[in-house]
Amino acid sequence: MASEFMTTPYYKVNILTGTKAAKVVSEPTEAASIIDKATNPLYVFGAEVIDSPVGDRLLIDYALEIAKSRDIPICATAHVKKKMMELGVRPDSTYDIIEIVHFLKDKSWAGVRGKGFHDLVLFTGVRCDLAERGLSTLKHFAPHLKTFAICRRSHPNADFALPVIPKTEKWRVYLEGVISELGAV
Amino acid sequence: MSKGKMREEEIRRIIRADDEWEPVGPTPMPNLTDLRNWDFRLLDTYEPFYAPFCDLCCLCTYGKCDLTGDKKGACGIDIAAQQARWILICSLMGTAAHGAHGRHMIEHLIEKFGEDFKIDLGSQVNVEAPIIRTVMGLKPENLGDLRKAIEYVEREMIHLVSATHMGQEGSYRDFESKAFHAGMLDHVALEAADIAQIVGYGLPTSIADTALVDLGWGAIDVKKPTIVVVGHNAVTANAIVDYLRQHDLYDKVEVAGLCCTALDMTRYDSGAKVIGPLSRQRFFLKAGLADVVVTDEQCVVTDIPQMASEAGAAMIACSDKICYGLQEASAMAADDILKAVLEEQKQFLILDSEKAAEVIVRAALALAPTRQERKKIMTQEEAALVSAKCRGTCEACNRACPNLLPVNVAINQARQGDFAKLGSVFLRCIGCAKCEEACVNDIPIQKVMQAAAASDTYKIRAGRGPIHDVEIRKVGSPIVLGTIPGVVLFAGCSNFPGDIDDVAWLAEELARRKYIVTLSGCAAMAASMRKDEDGKTIYEKYIPEFDAGCIVNVGSCVSNAHVVGAAIKIANIFATLPNRANFELMADYILNRVGACGVVWGPYSQKALSIGTGAVRWGIPVVLGPHGSKYRRLFMSKKEASDWNVIDGRTKQVVNTEEPTPEHMMLVTETKERALVTIIKQCFRRNDTPPGRAIKLNSYISAYKQVIGGLPDDLQNFVRTEKEIPIVYKREVIAYLKEVGWKPKTVLSLPTLIGTYETKVPIEATIK
Repeated sequence: MASEFMTTPYYKVNILTGTKAAKVVSEPTEAASIIDKATNPLYVFGAEVIDSPVGDRLLIDYALEIAKSRDIPICATAHVKKKMMELGVRPDSTYDIIEIVHFLKDKSWAGVRGKGFHDLVLFTGVRCDLAERGLSTLKHFAPHLKTFAICRRSHPNADFALPVIPKTEKWRVYLEGVISELGAV
Repeated sequence: MSKGKMREEEIRRIIRADDEWEPVGPTPMPNLTDLRNWDFRLLDTYEPFYAPFCDLCCLCTYGKCDLTGDKKGACGIDIAAQQARWILICSLMGTAAHGAHGRHMIEHLIEKFGEDFKIDLGSQVNVEAPIIRTVMGLKPENLGDLRKAIEYVEREMIHLVSATHMGQEGSYRDFESKAFHAGMLDHVALEAADIAQIVGYGLPTSIADTALVDLGWGAIDVKKPTIVVVGHNAVTANAIVDYLRQHDLYDKVEVAGLCCTALDMTRYDSGAKVIGPLSRQRFFLKAGLADVVVTDEQCVVTDIPQMASEAGAAMIACSDKICYGLQEASAMAADDILKAVLEEQKQFLILDSEKAAEVIVRAALALAPTRQERKKIMTQEEAALVSAKCRGTCEACNRACPNLLPVNVAINQARQGDFAKLGSVFLRCIGCAKCEEACVNDIPIQKVMQAAAASDTYKIRAGRGPIHDVEIRKVGSPIVLGTIPGVVLFAGCSNFPGDIDDVAWLAEELARRKYIVTLSGCAAMAASMRKDEDGKTIYEKYIPEFDAGCIVNVGSCVSNAHVVGAAIKIANIFATLPNRANFELMADYILNRVGACGVVWGPYSQKALSIGTGAVRWGIPVVLGPHGSKYRRLFMSKKEASDWNVIDGRTKQVVNTEEPTPEHMMLVTETKERALVTIIKQCFRRNDTPPGRAIKLNSYISAYKQVIGGLPDDLQNFVRTEKEIPIVYKREVIAYLKEVGWKPKTVLSLPTLIGTYETKVPIEATIK
């Protein structure tokens, strides 16, 4: 499982000033295992999923595959919904990023599919500085859930975060590894 | 402590309570707790949302204290209260900045004209100071009365600052109530400061069609001696203009500004020029185009003396807030100061504005002929050369960039002669120069940007000051009915998440949907930096009136008061509700009936925070750009799950409206697309008539379809009756509402929160 605590993300603006840092999930197998253990996960897509190329595909293509593998409900923040509809996928929720974080703080919230609070929330493609603030909110005010930032820039305020992955090719390999593992789990 | 009879008598004297322009309302010159119940009522629906920057509290010597989990500080504070404390501290910084600005401006003008100098805002403005009237109960008649307003702000602030000390306030809700108080005081200070400079300097008032002035670094004729003023207090800048006029030098010297001093200077003289907002300070000053750099106060980057020195420019500081360790030279002869400036390149602090003006102009005239070589901007060939060591691989610049820009790619391409990427990075650059600091090869990235930055000249309309009473009479009814869909104020700084001209896109999308769009400060400047295919900016394309589909630049940061003031005037002039010492009545009216929304798309300063926090207390929701998350606090409802009970003013019964309007009081959006639909939604009000709501829903649906796609999935929250469904979308909206099990909601014509919480304001007061 996660083997080390992370304090240095890609962006200096996200450097942790504190005591509680994310566990680094270096291997796709670990990532898949964390996702697989969740009983009611949620996947939050940020605006960058629709315009970030990863190899010859977009980040949203990988994120959708991860969501599809476990039928994880999707919250499409910002203007992500438009692209999802073009891809023939209807998001379960369209709250903006701060709105969904606000709801996630509340353990009594019914969740996007009415099944109760989400025990694991995955984040991909949210603008990095904004994501870090939202993750800080959940770290401090949502002890009933875990957060997992599936982001190559890394997020110390998440419960689980990837290491910094500078090379796009390694990022592609990581994402494909997670998808592959989820297929195998 | 309660006020006590002596204090109450003192307040009555200060506000001349016996003057009978209106009866004195329940809260003249409110103290820290007088409006607490109103604040708590807001907080019941709009919960504070905290995003801590730090797990720790580091404020006292018992610390550092870890506040994660259930842990508390040694003093007992928890993480929520600690965030709220920071918010109060930061709000106080902002209020102090505006308040001190007002204090300086008013004292300067009293020195010049005397405290009896009359306030006259022209034939179109009778309600001269709606904020001061409402908060204090004072109808200011002269500069001396404006000083009373600042004294009130100062008196309250000492108690607020005290509350941030260890072992004082311990509840996040009370910290937020105090932050609201600081924000409201900020608005008092804004209004006092701007009215003072309008009457003292004869700035535009009672006219809408103010001059179009030049903006952009390309607008500066650097062949002339060039003076650049930086900051937010135009006392010295105006003295420079006066000196030039008196000595018949105005057409021989170029005077330009960065930040709000520039805006205020163009209100004083439309021949002055605006270089740009805060984010352009370093870029321009490093270019060395200024012969003399002049700093006043607020939002001035603190390494200006170094930048001026490196550029071979003279530098004069003019504010006691920013002394830079320089010698104060007001007592020296101008000739002696000038000699030291020219021969020793010595920089000075000169607090005497007239003397500073003389030194600054004479220094510019003397220096300009010797600096022409220094004014040449970097060519693309030179830029490629100094970028030669970059390979685009270390990414140190990217990692340091707080706006997450791909600087490495841009510099690496510039090295190879392709400046397109650098041009696009420049459009998003916030001017912090952290990339330069991080560069392992010491590439002067800000200077390299000179080779890629467009040097266009833009047109911005000079700030027009107060909204006219006659305009309020015209738009009051359609705004309250909802048939003018909203009033939007773009305020604040230039810490934009995307292109600098995104504000122009947002403003235009709203104006063409018939919103009243107002702008101020750095946002007003940035909004001019987009031209259409005919080369026109929004200020040239749209009528500068406070009316549907118009775009108004009210002026500098302190001019924000006029937009809040317009909301108050709608209640006071259109609805004829008394505003004197009647804060809750005015705020309740605005919250429920005036579809106003503030937008700070590039939040940076503590001043913007205090302005926004004050707006929330007035019942005006605020939408922030992504950097606003670093303020660490928002106010959000749980949408349909929150408390939307109001009193029906006609029946005096509690009614659950079941509609979340306004939905949030302060929130961040990630993209400009999301901001557009959010701003539109934040202009919904419970008082909207069915035709008015239909117009607002039409805007919401059309914008949503344009930028997000499909129908909004929260329409069921805002459609109250079928009459409100816009005809053009009727079929699909009805189908959608049927699918989600929508049921009609109550439409009220007199919704009010008065009566839903403990207050001295009777429900009857809400009805005229």
